[in-house]
Amino acid sequence: MAEVTTPVARLASEDFGPKIPPKPVYSTWLRQSVLGWGAFAGFLLAMSWLFLALTRLIIGIGEQIPVSWGLSPAIGTILSLIVVLVMITATLLTMADRKWSALMQDRVGPNRARFSIIPGLRDKPLKGIPHIVADVLKMLFKEDFIPEGAVPNRFLFNLAPLLAFAPAFMLFAVVPVSPEVTFFGARFQLQVARVDWGMLYVFALASIAVFGTALAGWTSNNKLALLGGLRASAQLVSYEVTLGLTLVGAFIVFGSLRLDTMALLQGMTEPGLRAAAAFANRAGDFLARDDSLLFGWLPSWGGVFQPVGMILFLVAAQAEIKRAPFDTPEGESEIIGYFLEYSGLKSGMFYIAEYAETVVIAGIVTTIFLGGYHIPWLEPTIVRTTEGWLGASGIAWLAVLQVFTFILKMLAIIWVMFVVRWAFPRFRYDQIMRLGWKMMLPISLANVALTGAVFLWAGRDGVAWMGIIEWIAFLFFIGFSARAQPSAEPGSHSSTVVEH
Amino acid sequence: MEHPKDERASPGPQPDLSFGERLYLREAIKGMGVLAKHFWTNLFGFRDPAPEVLDRKGPGVNLVSTISYPDERKPYPPGYRGMHRLVPRVDGTPRCVACYMCATACPAQCIYIEAGEYEDQAIEKYPVRFEIDELRCIVCGFCVEACPKDAIRMDTGTHAPAVLSRPLAVFDKQALMQGPAVEHPSDVLTYRVPLRTPAPREPLGPGVTSKGDAGH
Repeated sequence: MAEVTTPVARLASEDFGPKIPPKPVYSTWLRQSVLGWGAFAGFLLAMSWLFLALTRLIIGIGEQIPVSWGLSPAIGTILSLIVVLVMITATLLTMADRKWSALMQDRVGPNRARFSIIPGLRDKPLKGIPHIVADVLKMLFKEDFIPEGAVPNRFLFNLAPLLAFAPAFMLFAVVPVSPEVTFFGARFQLQVARVDWGMLYVFALASIAVFGTALAGWTSNNKLALLGGLRASAQLVSYEVTLGLTLVGAFIVFGSLRLDTMALLQGMTEPGLRAAAAFANRAGDFLARDDSLLFGWLPSWGGVFQPVGMILFLVAAQAEIKRAPFDTPEGESEIIGYFLEYSGLKSGMFYIAEYAETVVIAGIVTTIFLGGYHIPWLEPTIVRTTEGWLGASGIAWLAVLQVFTFILKMLAIIWVMFVVRWAFPRFRYDQIMRLGWKMMLPISLANVALTGAVFLWAGRDGVAWMGIIEWIAFLFFIGFSARAQPSAEPGSHSSTVVEH
Repeated sequence: MEHPKDERASPGPQPDLSFGERLYLREAIKGMGVLAKHFWTNLFGFRDPAPEVLDRKGPGVNLVSTISYPDERKPYPPGYRGMHRLVPRVDGTPRCVACYMCATACPAQCIYIEAGEYEDQAIEKYPVRFEIDELRCIVCGFCVEACPKDAIRMDTGTHAPAVLSRPLAVFDKQALMQGPAVEHPSDVLTYRVPLRTPAPREPLGPGVTSKGDAGH
């Protein structure tokens, strides 16, 4: 055929014939999947090591400065945990929310943005990650608009996104991501603030987040935003009661408000690990014995002691961070929400704050109810096996794996929260109030009373048995309360059809 | 006193709900289970890009049936009237003999032909210009039916591509000369053996052919 010269001819030749992509081979897909998931796990492991290493580096720098302020562990953990872990996870979650919901609904999800300026990535959708950059750039370059009605309260109007944004990140300060560990010669823990009032701090900051939404709704001088702010205030104040009471059972079991103590009590401590590893070494066993297990086989996680507390806390937390099905303050299909009048980066701060709060709540749930950073059954074995690898102690290697475990557990909880978000329709305002005050509050009070009574009567093991019974009852209820078969004869509601 | 029944009122829960359903918890968890099943199936499932597989079934198969259009294309059904092409002969010249029958049959008058003459072949005429305005074309296929030489076909299986300006939608001869060459046994009569027949000077009317059915 003649060579293509004219533009029309080129157009035609490019588009000639149906282009059906070749069918990929199953083995190719399998190899790519294994490689991809392996790379993901490896990335998380490397990040776990990096969190520890970054904190160690900052501590090292702090030791070199002649005037020591003693702040270097805090600065290191703030950098590694809040700036890197929470910030990056929250940013990725903005895309994960859209991608995961697409997967749940059999869609493809956003995949059109490309890093076209990078040569190798011209035609790679990269699972939608370029959309994050596109979104951020879009928000950065939008006009920072203040509506006329908000001008008299300009200060409060500008303060509101900060009040929503900052507590979300500050909350993570009390979450322990690793145990106290000797890493490259320095002893530290991946936790910003190790304070006695850990959970009280969480409750206090959670109620500060109310100010952000209420102020945003109020100062916008917009009736829909005001409505959103009102709903948010009422909802958040209501659910804070349940949020606090659901954790009282856990406080009774662990006897502490400190999150690091709670995490520590759900697994083995360092001396115990060393002893168990040494014992296994002497006995020549591969599997070292985990002493922290309940009855010798059950991980002593908070979720085992407090199933009701865990489920209620998840629900109350979902309401507290205003995510669906408790998103009446936002309610994008009825009132646009308390952030209606915000534009650009301020709107983005509300958006990111929501996801940061998700990460933080997942972190708290992991710490209190899912054993924190602890790996069930295997911890002494890991210490025993990895002792001396690359010159590091087994405890240090275990710490890396524990950070990795913590991130995995956190991601799992985040995933559950996203499934909840996409599974349920939005509750009506009165339904939210009824659920909060008339159902969850009495149940959580009963849980506190029952846990206290059982703890006094039978101690920690008794609470564990209570938790196991509750789990079994719950699963039995889920599995066996089948739907009653509708009666074949025309009932009350089918007679209306006949009338029509 | 009994209130009159408000037709707009919510019907409320169905009377035959069991206790477990009223409690909402079990149904809620069942709903989450459905979502979780779809999530993991689609996350780990084998993405079968074959566009004809719209109703995907079977274990481990991705349920997403979206066709990302410019990258993945579903073939049109057989008989689809796609974009025109001028069918070439085996030697690369167009089969078209510039008889103007397609242009005459065209209800949208989107075909423009300028005839030229070969010097020393049995086939006397060929199109110097053959242009189809794809914006005017109504894709009725009359030109294909009218052609006595099987020189214009709509079997490309694609549609006219999107263009950014109107002139680009006027497809010239080079753009239309696409696809595999076509040869019919009866073609021997016309171009292997030189036949000296006087060429008609004026365009023929619709439905009138100077020779018998050469194609098909």
